Amino acid sequence: MDLSGRFGARSGDGVPFREVTGLESLHLGGGDEFRQMVPPENGGGFTALLELPPTRAVELLHSSSSSSSQATLHSLGTLTFPSNPILMERASRFSVIATEQNPNGNISGETTTSSVPSNEHIKTEPAETETSDQAAVEKQNNRCGKRKDFDKKVKSSTKKKSKSSEENEKLPYVHVRARRGQATDSHSLAERARREKINARMKLLQELVPGCDKIQGTALVLDEIINHVQSLQRQVEMLSMRLASVNPRIDFNLDTILASENGSLMDGSFNGTTMQLAWPHQVMETEQSYHHRQLQQPPPQQWPFDGLNQPVWGREENQDHGNDHNSLMVGSASLHPNQVKMEL
Amino acid sequence: MQPTSSMNEQFLKNWQMGLQIFRPSIDNTSVSERKRAIKLSADVAMASLRKGTTCWSRALIQKAATEDSFLVRQMLAGIKEETLINRKLPKIVCHRKIVRRSKKILMRRKSSSAMEEVTAKAKKLVKRKTKGLRNVVPGGEFMSNNVLLIQETLDYIVSLQTQVNVMRSIVDAAEAGVER
Repeated sequence: MDLSGRFGARSGDGVPFREVTGLESLHLGGGDEFRQMVPPENGGGFTALLELPPTRAVELLHSSSSSSSQATLHSLGTLTFPSNPILMERASRFSVIATEQNPNGNISGETTTSSVPSNEHIKTEPAETETSDQAAVEKQNNRCGKRKDFDKKVKSSTKKKSKSSEENEKLPYVHVRARRGQATDSHSLAERARREKINARMKLLQELVPGCDKIQGTALVLDEIINHVQSLQRQVEMLSMRLASVNPRIDFNLDTILASENGSLMDGSFNGTTMQLAWPHQVMETEQSYHHRQLQQPPPQQWPFDGLNQPVWGREENQDHGNDHNSLMVGSASLHPNQVKMEL
Repeated sequence: MQPTSSMNEQFLKNWQMGLQIFRPSIDNTSVSERKRAIKLSADVAMASLRKGTTCWSRALIQKAATEDSFLVRQMLAGIKEETLINRKLPKIVCHRKIVRRSKKILMRRKSSSAMEEVTAKAKKLVKRKTKGLRNVVPGGEFMSNNVLLIQETLDYIVSLQTQVNVMRSIVDAAEAGVER
């Protein structure tokens, strides 16, 4: 292509261009996890830039996406290897160069191709579309920087990058590409990798904290996270106060009872756990009073009462664990009276 | 990631162990004392789930150790309790006045376009929030970078959730028991 000639002419910048020799790679230890983390952030920032990619970029995209699609199957959900989004970036860069150099003829032709890679992109990495909303501050920064620099810098041809992209998938560490219009020195690359790490983890946090997915913007998300953590801490305080204000004997003794039920405590549901190992007898007497009243429900199953030592692990596992934690009382209480009766 | 049932069990076990230590002195009757004991043992139990791998757990154990080192020692029972209790990372201290002054100078020198101002403001906001987050998460001041901070926050939230779930179940049981 005639563009490569122009690249050659301009490559005499002061900017040291390391991609020529090989791969600008940052070894960011933590292999798999990181690889899974990085790509969504990279690609997400670039969906906006894929305005007019040329057909060549689409080819590159297809060649890499086919190889990386297998990777998506292995990794969790929608995460892919970094080469795909990195390739997208290069494609976009190349496209921008192309449009600048040939503003006249190609624009109409390229608009049609623009939809294809974006679709590809959406198929393989649906999660990424969220990320573009997410760290809006930083993404905006990047985009603005690029639009300003479009006229200024030119990076090497995409041919070299396509070769090195295949190598990306084989090597264990992440190769971070310098985007168009950004410096290629290791500092900014490292910084960018750091930013992407942060964005990936922010995404996880958003999923964890309820109600954060709708929010756009790092600051607001952080706000929500802080509120959530504070509310959890306050809940702990409240619960410990409530427990302390309950009759002291019970709260400390209850625990000795439950201590014997070790393995059978489930996600908040303590059904049938109270039939575990030996109960201390003095504790039994204190429990009688408040267990007796819990004769609301007949016990769900017949319990073997001999020696109180029957392990009920098997039964416990069969129960469904999705219950509300309030079922604790129902389950445990229903068993207590039987046992108490036996004791009497 | 939501708290798993094994985490719940583990937490309860550890918490029991901690409460057992208070059992003999159960007649330290004031509610606040009991509450303190309960909360402390719950916190140490939660932190010991991570066995010192995460920053927040170490910081939490250290905080608890300042309040009741005996309890902490008993609960951790050999899992490098001495190192956990005594070690302290250097705080990240920024002399705020100096930083602010230098920032002002920088801002003056920059020719501020509209875009840069906006991004600068947004960055400031984010920084303020991360500082707030550091204050909330135990040991946040010792986390040197934001990546670590967010990772720790993730883990901390999950652990807090298990703590709350287990405690709530116990409290509901106990209260229902007393109600009569």
